[in-house]
Amino acid sequence: MEQLPLIISLVIVVAVVLVIVFAGKKSFGKFRTRDIVAIGIGAALYAVVSLLIIPVGPNTSFRIAIALLTILGSIFGPIVGFLAGFIGHALNDAFMYGSVWWSWAFMSAFIGLFAGLICKDKTFDVLGGKINGKQIALMYVLAVAGMAVGSLASYAGDVFLYGEPADKVWLQIIIANAMNLIVVGVIGIPVTIAIAKIRGRGRNLEIEEDPPDDQLQEE
Amino acid sequence: MNSRTGSLFYKTGSVIEGIDGSIKLMWVIFWSVFTFMFMDLRIFVALIIAGLILFRVSRIPWRKAKVLFIFVLIFTAFNSIFLFLVTPTYGSELTGTYTTLFQAGVYQLTYENLFYILTISVKYIALLPITIVFLFSTHPSLFASSLDRIGVPYKIAYTINIALRYIPDVQQEFNNITSAQEARGVAFDKKDAKLFQRLKNYTTVLIPMLLTSFDRIEIVSNAMDLRGFGRYKKRTWYVREPYTKIDMVALAAGIAFLLLGIYLKATSPSYFWYPFN
Repeated sequence: MEQLPLIISLVIVVAVVLVIVFAGKKSFGKFRTRDIVAIGIGAALYAVVSLLIIPVGPNTSFRIAIALLTILGSIFGPIVGFLAGFIGHALNDAFMYGSVWWSWAFMSAFIGLFAGLICKDKTFDVLGGKINGKQIALMYVLAVAGMAVGSLASYAGDVFLYGEPADKVWLQIIIANAMNLIVVGVIGIPVTIAIAKIRGRGRNLEIEEDPPDDQLQEE
Repeated sequence: MNSRTGSLFYKTGSVIEGIDGSIKLMWVIFWSVFTFMFMDLRIFVALIIAGLILFRVSRIPWRKAKVLFIFVLIFTAFNSIFLFLVTPTYGSELTGTYTTLFQAGVYQLTYENLFYILTISVKYIALLPITIVFLFSTHPSLFASSLDRIGVPYKIAYTINIALRYIPDVQQEFNNITSAQEARGVAFDKKDAKLFQRLKNYTTVLIPMLLTSFDRIEIVSNAMDLRGFGRYKKRTWYVREPYTKIDMVALAAGIAFLLLGIYLKATSPSYFWYPFN
């Protein structure tokens, strides 16, 4: 019976992945070359920026790179978000520690995946400069959902594979999620909005009449 | 082969370097599965000794790998502190016996827990040598083709190739942009601004980084499309050698190793090994 929460969380994680894989084929279109390159370069970005941490307390720090997952996911979709997070996390761990913390790589992967679900809304297009208030609110909801599912994956992995005590893992998960939520809220989503604004600029030009000559001379 | 990659590959010419990347990757997977199955100090010590022998055979210089060992030791130390503070009696829950070492108010630390922390720390270290051997002895160009060989779809294998290729470029760009913003007076240092301000200031780095990365993604993916990438279900690799006898021996050794692990798991009486009962 002690194994029950573990099994439940594993089932939830697997169910989420299956639903997204099967539903995703229809809603998110084909896997194109651009997606492959986006995963590669996104993972490189994530691995490099992961080196940057702002320490807050003992074993607690802001990891700026989490913001990238929200941004990459919302621009390129859930598959790119998932794989860029997973591969980027694994590479960073491998180069930093020489071994990969697989259970926490899934935390990064799920944050990216859930951020990407917003692409199901076809009117949402960051690179085309299209984003509205409702979609921004949805991005916050998806960020929290991603962290929740990611937490279950990390918990199951840490307890089942690494043999850690559940209480300690939950404490770590709560601290990490609080930090990540701040990073997503302060950097991730605002940067996505900023990129949409920058990209939107100059794409909604309207044809205007020629200004009168005297106005030109004044300039 | 392009040498400009974000990898730890170090040429030694050893036997282990000659083994195909896909087989070494299987070793890492088998080794991890083996470690994950147990909570037994004896097994982890044996794994560390075996790992260090492999490390020796691979002839990777100690000075290259030293920093990774140190990082893991620091990580393990922090993890142990956490375990001491948060779950001081977890080891006792596993063994079912409570031998108090130290008690202050509600905080009770037991000998069993001390042994548990030792075991789990050694477990983390046991995963290290094989990964280091893999990372230092596998050329990144061979890595993607080796992933493809063990059944990872080539498009996914290719993403890892791209990531490894662009890590140095992205690193360079990140440093340039951060310096440029610092020159303009944006504060990233502890002394210059408060925590939240510093956190916010990183948006001024991320936005230019992302915009240049998007351009790069367009350029690279167009170039790949023009060369017909992804046209077929399979692809051939520029750098891939056929399996040799050594590879087969190494694969057999890996499988035997995993079977030994399963045998030990099936015959061991309890999950957590505690000798002092």
